[in-house]
Amino acid sequence: MPETSVNPHLALLPIVLPLAAAAVGLLLLRHRPRAMALLALAAMAGGVWASWSLVSAVNAEGAPVVLHVGGWRAPFGINLVADHLGAMMALMCQSVLLAGVLYARGCRDTCVRFPVFYPLLLTLAAGLTGAMLTGDLFNFFVFAELVVISGTVLTACSDHRGGVEAAYKYFYIALVAAMALLLANGCLYAEYGTLNMADLAARIADRPDAPLAGVALGLLLVSLGIKCAAVPFHFWQPDFHTTSPTAVSAMLSSVVVKLGVYGLIRVSMLLFPHADSVSPLLVGAGVAGVAVGGLGAVGTHDLKRMLAYSTLAQIGFMLVAVGWKSGPAIAAALVFAINHALVKAAMLMLAGAVASRAPVKSASFEVVAGVGRALPGAGVLFLLGGMALAGLPPMNGFVSKLGVFRAGVDQAAWLALGALAVGSLCTFVYVARSFQRVWWESPEAAVHAKPYGDSLAAPLLLITASLALGVAPQPLLSFASDTAAWLADPAVYIDASLKGTP
Amino acid sequence: MELLIALTLGLLFGVGVHQMLRRNVIRSAIGLVLVGNAVNLFLIHCGAYRGIVPPYTTIEGQSSDPLPQALVLTAIVIGMGGFSFVLAVLYVFALRDRTGDMANVSQLKH
Repeated sequence: MPETSVNPHLALLPIVLPLAAAAVGLLLLRHRPRAMALLALAAMAGGVWASWSLVSAVNAEGAPVVLHVGGWRAPFGINLVADHLGAMMALMCQSVLLAGVLYARGCRDTCVRFPVFYPLLLTLAAGLTGAMLTGDLFNFFVFAELVVISGTVLTACSDHRGGVEAAYKYFYIALVAAMALLLANGCLYAEYGTLNMADLAARIADRPDAPLAGVALGLLLVSLGIKCAAVPFHFWQPDFHTTSPTAVSAMLSSVVVKLGVYGLIRVSMLLFPHADSVSPLLVGAGVAGVAVGGLGAVGTHDLKRMLAYSTLAQIGFMLVAVGWKSGPAIAAALVFAINHALVKAAMLMLAGAVASRAPVKSASFEVVAGVGRALPGAGVLFLLGGMALAGLPPMNGFVSKLGVFRAGVDQAAWLALGALAVGSLCTFVYVARSFQRVWWESPEAAVHAKPYGDSLAAPLLLITASLALGVAPQPLLSFASDTAAWLADPAVYIDASLKGTP
Repeated sequence: MELLIALTLGLLFGVGVHQMLRRNVIRSAIGLVLVGNAVNLFLIHCGAYRGIVPPYTTIEGQSSDPLPQALVLTAIVIGMGGFSFVLAVLYVFALRDRTGDMANVSQLKH
């Protein structure tokens, strides 16, 4: 690859930095929580820098940064392909996880003082980035397992008493997803004799009707659907995202679910672009997700649980857009994914900050009602975040919802659009209701909010970023439409990723 | 050989899924382990194209594909980590709730 001026090892950096920091922290800094937190912060800042340079390299060259790990050429070795989609998603994950580490530093949960907490947060970052940058399907499985195991253990050590149970529930279903993914790997390997995604895409395009291809596609859809909590597979998600420590649930509900969305985009755009059955399935699951998530969020009595249900609905929006498959729809799904990651992480952090000041540590509305009066700053941030979730200007949520609706009008998919509009109304209802209960309502008995609690620095950063993306969305929008154009033709990815192969 | 492996796979999957659907947490965990092993066996079998070549020996003129064996090794290691976590959680349930019935473990019910 002589024509790229970028060192291809840049693609390895966002994975290796957190992984190395996790190992160093676990070995050397077990008894120094402050130093460990600083190391984690530094590693994540380095990761954000590395993925930012990846994105700008990809943007400048218009071609992916491809690294053949260990010098073994793909398809025989494993390669890392930082294309538009992968680099963009990696940057999103690293930035939100940086905010997560920042929140964990300023938070009062007991679990952040466990020696394994920061290393697990870092392996979560490494796994997410690795899964999004890898060009090999089995490698995707390995990184996805790293994400699952880190997230599960982080939840199991939560301060919430139900943490172990929620973690078990999730881990069980995630192991089923992992087995489905592994079976899909086996089917594809038995049928096509390769697991490199580019090579696989080329061979599937040659022979799309192979008997095991349909089985593999079904297994991939199930496994990725479980990962992103698409509706028939969503039942673990509210418990899991409610009971985990705030710093972790903000990550799980914002970027970890995006792993499934990323995988579905890869499956529907690269591996099986010709499979017509995928689109209606994704649109159906998305609409069902919008309905279940919206109604569930309206019906809950817990601030964090409400936000977890809201994630179901927002993932539904993305799935519908991914299912439409047109260029503007894919671009809208990507913009939606990034905006939702920033906003949902910030909202969960604000919910956690309010809960940490409540007399009893809980995010249940009975406990936190009125607590917000002592925290007007958090109220402003929550209102801005709520506007973004509901899709009001000037926040970034407006841009992403506008994109999805415009793509839908292009498709003339009126039924799905109607469902999405009703889902958006639900968002208004639950956001307004929660804001009213926590910040406006004067409680019957006097509330004694604690004078101290979790720091608001991280949500402030995230809300600022989403406001900035709402006021000046053009760079993101143009990069997203470049990405959609890049994804539209699988042959470009295949050529770029196998470049120089005999 | 192919028929034998196919039958074994079917049996393992069947027993595993049946156990996974039980209410007892320990039984469902055992079901998960069985299904995990069935998946691994399936992966190994993907490397033996002819069906008559066992993946662990070489017959004159034929050889089996080593890649699925490498994949299975990785999958076994990951699975072992996962199952040990499952066992640790079962231990917590046994200590805290003194029950193996899923319906009695649940604290997250609203």
